[in-house]
Amino acid sequence: MLDFLKKLFSGDEASSREQANSRLRLVLTHDRLGSSPQLMEILQEEIIEVIARHLEIDGKPEVKFISEGRHTALDISIRLKGR
Amino acid sequence: MGENASQGQVIVVTSGKGGVGKTTTVANVSTSLARMGHKVVVMDLDIGLKKLDLILGLENRVIYDIIQVIEGECTLKQALVKDKRFPELYMLPAAQTRNKDDIKPEQVQEICRQLRPDFDYIFIDCPAGIEQGFRNAIAAADRAIVITNPEVSAVRDADRIIGMLESANFKDIQLVVNRIRPDMVKKGDMLSIEDLLEHLCIELIGVVPEDKNVVISTNKGEPIVLSEHSLAATAFNNISRRVTGEEVEFLTFEDENFWDKLKNRLFSSR
Repeated sequence: MLDFLKKLFSGDEASSREQANSRLRLVLTHDRLGSSPQLMEILQEEIIEVIARHLEIDGKPEVKFISEGRHTALDISIRLKGR
Repeated sequence: MGENASQGQVIVVTSGKGGVGKTTTVANVSTSLARMGHKVVVMDLDIGLKKLDLILGLENRVIYDIIQVIEGECTLKQALVKDKRFPELYMLPAAQTRNKDDIKPEQVQEICRQLRPDFDYIFIDCPAGIEQGFRNAIAAADRAIVITNPEVSAVRDADRIIGMLESANFKDIQLVVNRIRPDMVKKGDMLSIEDLLEHLCIELIGVVPEDKNVVISTNKGEPIVLSEHSLAATAFNNISRRVTGEEVEFLTFEDENFWDKLKNRLFSSR
């Protein structure tokens, strides 16, 4: 019971301000680029496809945006398997 | 863009989203600048949904409107409404029975060209949205002030507007954050100024706290900058001073003593 109350009041959840910030980060990036979360999935798949044709990929590649001011870059991280 | 020094500056006040406080900001900043002695004209380009006359308390003094000026039914001088309280403040009213497509950007440019020699500041109250009304409002502007609220949908729209202003080659774009509640920011329940600046990446020109006195002054048709004991009035006055290029420190809402002091002042004045 005490735990439940603690959870209720202290909140394990991120504050609504933090939630607003992370939602905005994503939506503004997509708005500025005219892209979408679906496009990110497609990109990821296609990039893997091209790389995998030539090299062996280790695990799941990471594709994300990094923002600097109002400009955005695509950050792709692909781990490769050695022989 | 870039006129010679003797000519007035055209400043568009815009937001994308409606209801964030564009007209309130235009009314208060222009009143405050006029009270400082600058010659100011405010142009309401929210054709069909005009509000500026009401917020300024000049609704009974309107005779002609901007469309009649454009269509040659009256001169620009005849259409300008003079604010009796401030000899330096004039308003060019919008037309209520027409719509945004009845004006073209070149016509707004022409009106501004005629106003520039006689005024220090020409404020344009831009309608909400990103359509024709927005294009008309930015057509003649030298600089832009974007209004937002600390709320996700307003920030998203502000970001879109900033992008469009940048595409239109605006170099001077500044942000006003309106209706912030420091108590909620502190509790982690509202976006902070720092958060907004991180998202929008433009220069800050004003922070206006939520203040119930704004509702009261709007009811009366008296811009809130006319009342002495209000935090929002101080904030709007500070924006006006920054518009002129003066460096004014931003109000800090962090200091509780400061808050309490102000609250006490507010209560004792009633």
